[in-house]
Amino acid sequence: MSVVVIGLSHRSAPVELRERFAFDQSRIPEALAALRAAGLATEATILSTCNRVEIYAATTLAPDAAFVEFKKFLIAHHAYDGALGDELYTIAEPHSLQHLFKVAAGLDSMVIGETEIFGQLKAAYELAFTHKHTGARLNKAFQRAFNVAKHIRTATNIQRGSVSVMSAAVELAEKIFTTLAEHEVLVIGAGETSEKTARALQSRGVQRITVTNRSPERATALAAELAARTVPWEHWPEEFERIDIAISSTAATKAILDRATLEPLMRRRQHRPLLLIDIAVPRDIDPTVSELDNVYLYNVDDLQSIANEYLSLRQEEVARCEQIIAEKVAALLSANRPTAFQVNI
Amino acid sequence: MAWFTDRHCFMLAVTFYGLATIYSVFLWRKGFRRDEWVNYFLLVAGVALHTLAMAKRGMTLHSCPVNNLYEATTFLLWALGLACLVYSLLPRFKFLAAFTAPVLFTIGVFALMPSLDPPHGPKPEFSGALRSIHAATILQSYGAFGLAAVAAGMFLMQRHDLKFHKLRALLSLLPSIQRLEYITFRLVAVGFVLLTIGLAAGSQLPRHAGKPYWSDTKVLWSALLWLAYLEALVAYKKFGRSSRRFAIGVILVFVFLLLTFGITNYYSGLHN
Repeated sequence: MSVVVIGLSHRSAPVELRERFAFDQSRIPEALAALRAAGLATEATILSTCNRVEIYAATTLAPDAAFVEFKKFLIAHHAYDGALGDELYTIAEPHSLQHLFKVAAGLDSMVIGETEIFGQLKAAYELAFTHKHTGARLNKAFQRAFNVAKHIRTATNIQRGSVSVMSAAVELAEKIFTTLAEHEVLVIGAGETSEKTARALQSRGVQRITVTNRSPERATALAAELAARTVPWEHWPEEFERIDIAISSTAATKAILDRATLEPLMRRRQHRPLLLIDIAVPRDIDPTVSELDNVYLYNVDDLQSIANEYLSLRQEEVARCEQIIAEKVAALLSANRPTAFQVNI
Repeated sequence: MAWFTDRHCFMLAVTFYGLATIYSVFLWRKGFRRDEWVNYFLLVAGVALHTLAMAKRGMTLHSCPVNNLYEATTFLLWALGLACLVYSLLPRFKFLAAFTAPVLFTIGVFALMPSLDPPHGPKPEFSGALRSIHAATILQSYGAFGLAAVAAGMFLMQRHDLKFHKLRALLSLLPSIQRLEYITFRLVAVGFVLLTIGLAAGSQLPRHAGKPYWSDTKVLWSALLWLAYLEALVAYKKFGRSSRRFAIGVILVFVFLLLTFGITNYYSGLHN
């Protein structure tokens, strides 16, 4: 009996195809039962996320024969009538186990090293386990995959750093301020990115947020979403005496904050550090403000380049992670191999 | 073990400071990314040997070992090293040891110059509790100022990296600049209080007959130092001096202290 994988992911198929093959979570136990009833698999787990649909199965069939049957099953289950080429990949042992370990560690994800997939894989396994569709082979493989993913997380830098503009902004704030809970944030412009950045800051302890927007209705709506207060557009510069972080993303065609405006405000702030996050294009904040002492200005390109550098650091770590995975898979396979004594019996 | 004098012990301590300095360069080149204890434990070994060296000298003299430039310098370094070990235990402050080690090593090598430690009798000319309080508190204040200068250096490095968008600012495991600024201020404040106590104790000690107290080089130098730190604290807290200027000021005053410490001692009638 060997472990095989069949599926499609963001690497092999466009979203239109992935969503055609996605499994409704509530119908997964039924699909697993059908797989086993058809004699295709003795054990099976289905992972269905927005980026991948995969069947992990322990089967007594020869891999090539199993893959043909699994493909037929998938097409029939989703009533798919289109053409299908290389989008559907098939992996046999030992590469199937390596693939499972890589998926668990986030190495096969769109954003390398992300942790969400770990939770999704765990949920998929638990669903199959609860409905008794897993056995000795898959239980061991999945448990080992979760352990390896945890080990990789602590032993390497694969999950280090912010790989999105929002999380880079939060990380910057934490390098300037000791605790974010004590600092107030001003959101200038009620755009989607400012909202996401403000939410990311809230998730790290920010408690006080003020929103301002040219249109007061949008400011009020965003303030309600963030449990924040609003200030009229004409009065936002006065807020600089109190706030320590400003996120700006207005649709203004020229800078709304320049050095001449900020300089007297900084004096009134008694030179407390001020983090300015300008995610607007064209930029809302004149770059010359960064010449002022205690002003830290980052625009969307600066944040994106931080995210990109982190991403390239993660990519450098991939080789180390793959080495760990190769060793762990070899150990798992040798543990599964029957001993000479068992063979004689 | 009679051949193993306090100077040998101090020499070993300086060797550990040197090893810590080499390791600091390694950590610096790696961008202070790895959170580890190697540097800290090298300093622990150095400070332990340093303590032993001072204890040996103190037991020989039956008083606080601060009677010549060698003893005063080693006392200053010891205070700096000990304060560093304590502050390094604060969250994300482990790298303080990496920044302090080069200072300890450089001044330690300087202190080992034989001319700074001329032979003296078994008992110093002046002794007593007040003298010990005077010397110990003042040298401890120098230690606090030294550590403040180290924290100020860390602050300036982090500030520069954040201001100019260097990824090292995010990758390094250094504290936030706000915390570094606070620690710098606190250390200067502690040093200032210790210096004030030390100077007050010193004003009560016996003096040379016929020589006005304020004509002594060291007394004038100490008063100048006291004023410099007072100005730094007041300008920062009361008149909104920027944190960058405060940090630069703290470093400059400490560099001045280091460069002129020996010279003022040499020209001081009261301290010679």
